[in-house]
Amino acid sequence: MANLDASSSDVTFKPKPSLPPPPNTVGAVGWVRKNLFSSPLNAFLTLLSLYVIWVLVSNVFDWAILNAVWEAETRRECLDKVGLSGACWAGVSHWMKNFIYGRYPDTDVWRINLGFGTLILWMAPFWFPRVTGKIAIGASAILISPFLLGYLFAGGEKGLFLQLMISIAITSFIFSWLHVLVCLGTGNTLRNVIVSMTGFAAKPDSAQKYPVIGLFVALAVVVFALQAGWQLEEQNTNLWGGLFVTLVISGIGIAVSLPAGIVLALGRRSKMPIIRVFCVAFIELFRSVPLITVLFMAVTMVPLFLPEAINPVKIVQAIIAVCIFSSAYMAETVRGGLQAIPKGQYEAAQALGLSYWKMMTLIVMPQALKLMIPNIVGSFIGLLKDTTLVSIVGLYDLLLMLKAVSQNPQWNGIHTEPLFFGAMLYFVLCFIMSKYSQHLERTLGAGQVRK
Amino acid sequence: MAVVDRGASGQGSSLSEIVNDERYRSVFYQILVFAVVMWAGWYLFTNTAHNLEARGMSAGFGFLQSTAGFSISFSIIPYEAGDSYLWVYLVGITNTLLLSFVSIVATTILGFIIGVLRLSKNWLVAQLASWYVEILRNTPLLLQILFWYLAVFAILPRPKQSFDVLGLGLFELNNRGFYFPAPVPGEFFGATMLTLLAAVIAAYVVAVWAKKRQNATGERFPAFWTGIGIVVGAPLLVFLVTGSPLEWDIPELKGFNFRGGASVPPAFCAVFIALVIYHACYIAEMVRAGILSVSHGQTEASYSLGLKPGLTLRLVIIPQAMRAIVPPLISNWMNVVKNSSLAIAVGFPDLVAVFMQTSLNQSGHAIEIVAMVMLFYMTVSLTISGALNYYNKLVQLKER
Repeated sequence: MANLDASSSDVTFKPKPSLPPPPNTVGAVGWVRKNLFSSPLNAFLTLLSLYVIWVLVSNVFDWAILNAVWEAETRRECLDKVGLSGACWAGVSHWMKNFIYGRYPDTDVWRINLGFGTLILWMAPFWFPRVTGKIAIGASAILISPFLLGYLFAGGEKGLFLQLMISIAITSFIFSWLHVLVCLGTGNTLRNVIVSMTGFAAKPDSAQKYPVIGLFVALAVVVFALQAGWQLEEQNTNLWGGLFVTLVISGIGIAVSLPAGIVLALGRRSKMPIIRVFCVAFIELFRSVPLITVLFMAVTMVPLFLPEAINPVKIVQAIIAVCIFSSAYMAETVRGGLQAIPKGQYEAAQALGLSYWKMMTLIVMPQALKLMIPNIVGSFIGLLKDTTLVSIVGLYDLLLMLKAVSQNPQWNGIHTEPLFFGAMLYFVLCFIMSKYSQHLERTLGAGQVRK
Repeated sequence: MAVVDRGASGQGSSLSEIVNDERYRSVFYQILVFAVVMWAGWYLFTNTAHNLEARGMSAGFGFLQSTAGFSISFSIIPYEAGDSYLWVYLVGITNTLLLSFVSIVATTILGFIIGVLRLSKNWLVAQLASWYVEILRNTPLLLQILFWYLAVFAILPRPKQSFDVLGLGLFELNNRGFYFPAPVPGEFFGATMLTLLAAVIAAYVVAVWAKKRQNATGERFPAFWTGIGIVVGAPLLVFLVTGSPLEWDIPELKGFNFRGGASVPPAFCAVFIALVIYHACYIAEMVRAGILSVSHGQTEASYSLGLKPGLTLRLVIIPQAMRAIVPPLISNWMNVVKNSSLAIAVGFPDLVAVFMQTSLNQSGHAIEIVAMVMLFYMTVSLTISGALNYYNKLVQLKER
């Protein structure tokens, strides 16, 4: 009753301002209490973790930095100075060149640098948002650049076909970058600029491609004439090694496995029984055996399979094995992505009257590939790690180079330091890839998130 | 003439019909692919036959009966240098299976622990576990194996200064390997094992009966603890009654090396530890994803039904999480089996090392040996995926 009286009068209810939260639940103290010491068990776990971190960090720090020897000529010198309590980084720095280039001659190392530099420049437009025609640039980088890079790395005599492909590669590189510069400078495309400059703008669309093709061919002819007199000294693949070989093998593996995996996955989901059976057999066979057996198979059986005249070098055999193996895995990754596309998308595409390939390339694959990016990058990381297995069949990749230091008389028995260095190198490469894939997933998947 | 004309034009239209008909097209593509594959197979076969002839080699599995002239540093089944290649194959298989089995058991346990730690409410523990996963899974396994072998197990002290694991004098670690006590069953030990078998069956029967009774009457019966009691108690009783017929053969330092007990070589330890630590990362991620996949609403619903936290975990959360965890877990076990082949890098005689490397180099029968090794891994793989499919069928959502 009293309440009724109060509400009928003119007195309005004014709440008191709320009190600040207790000081030990906010700020750093509150965070520590909540996240580290919320219960006796948690407090114990926190202290235990701190102890573990302390032991690990202090030991590694002492060994790797505090007691480490950075300058020495032999391992004996290191051992005399600090014994086993400190790392002997001098051994790693003396061998750094071999870790990266293998036994490639010093005078020709620029060829490897130039090759990888070209490839990075070729791919760089992907990171410029204003550039158009990225698919064409990417396709040229994957399909045509291997001829140029392969010749840079291997050298030797050039056949007519190789000369032609090298000219086309150089011309496409120049064209891509002209296009990129035009895009960045004017916001227009190279095609439109060429068309307007040659006065073809008024001509019908079908005729507009002629000046572009003409210019490409003219440039290619000039490049062809220029490169005819240019020859590089042959470098035997036995001299290749280190990070260089690791990147070559895994790079080719990546470039081959993605398209091959897509084809195999489509074959596995095909309605044609014979094609399906072949694809399933291939995928299941190579997925159920370890990579090392595939490598041994390639090394021992490829020479038997081929005519006697052809004697493939070991790196080619290893690349074949890696490609076969990674294609089978990639096929399963792609199949996972294809299965995630709702059936309605296929039916809608068919209802529009699209053919199988149009349905796949225009409707299904763009959606599926976007979904698959984390898994595809995961496969690439796995491939980069698996490339270390080629060391077992005797290819001097990064891992075998790291191991070979200890057989050197000067650095006899030095194992931990090079392997530690290699582990860090691999970790950085793989970690960057996985973080980049998460970034891609966020940017490309922006349309997928429901708001 | 008219007839011919009509025939020609008719043929033309029916030809385009045939070309554009999806059924004929698919038949044509399939025949094409089949022909290409057959041609490739024939090409490889003729080349191989020619090459084998040129090298004066014969194909066939006859070589399996001939003696292998090399010794193997470690085997579970007895092996001597004069045994046949077929026996080498079996030695390799048993070594691979032993290494894989112990690695799978240990990696699953470690993976579950780390997966649960990653979800800990304690920020520091979760961070520590996630850095463990990030660092180890982004480093090649082969590099880890070499690291453990070259930096740890290859530089262990000699037997005289062996490292006493646990400090009990039972487990010794030195540069010859890891020594541990071996059980020596006595006369009546078989009785204990039989009892154990019977007890497991009895516990299963009790569990089935308890479930049936609970479904019928709603009364609960502590089947789990009864089962534990039967499985532990009955064999223990028989063991004691028959006079403890089990002795332990403890390794002892005699002269320059340990005698007695059982041992595994340092290479085994290195591969085992590397496999366990590496694959535990992947299992931890699966466990984490599996637990996160059960929505919090399930816990709340179960509480509102009146279930206690322990029962909620056992009856509601774990069965649903297992549905997400088990399939990738089993394919990860398959990866452990496959990756155990990396033991070749540190000289542990697994199947690939003794058969695909040593035997192949000695006998030269590349095709047969590669086929036999692949057949073994495929058999294991198919067995495991068969079990997986059976399990999936068992636990999948029963939808209407």
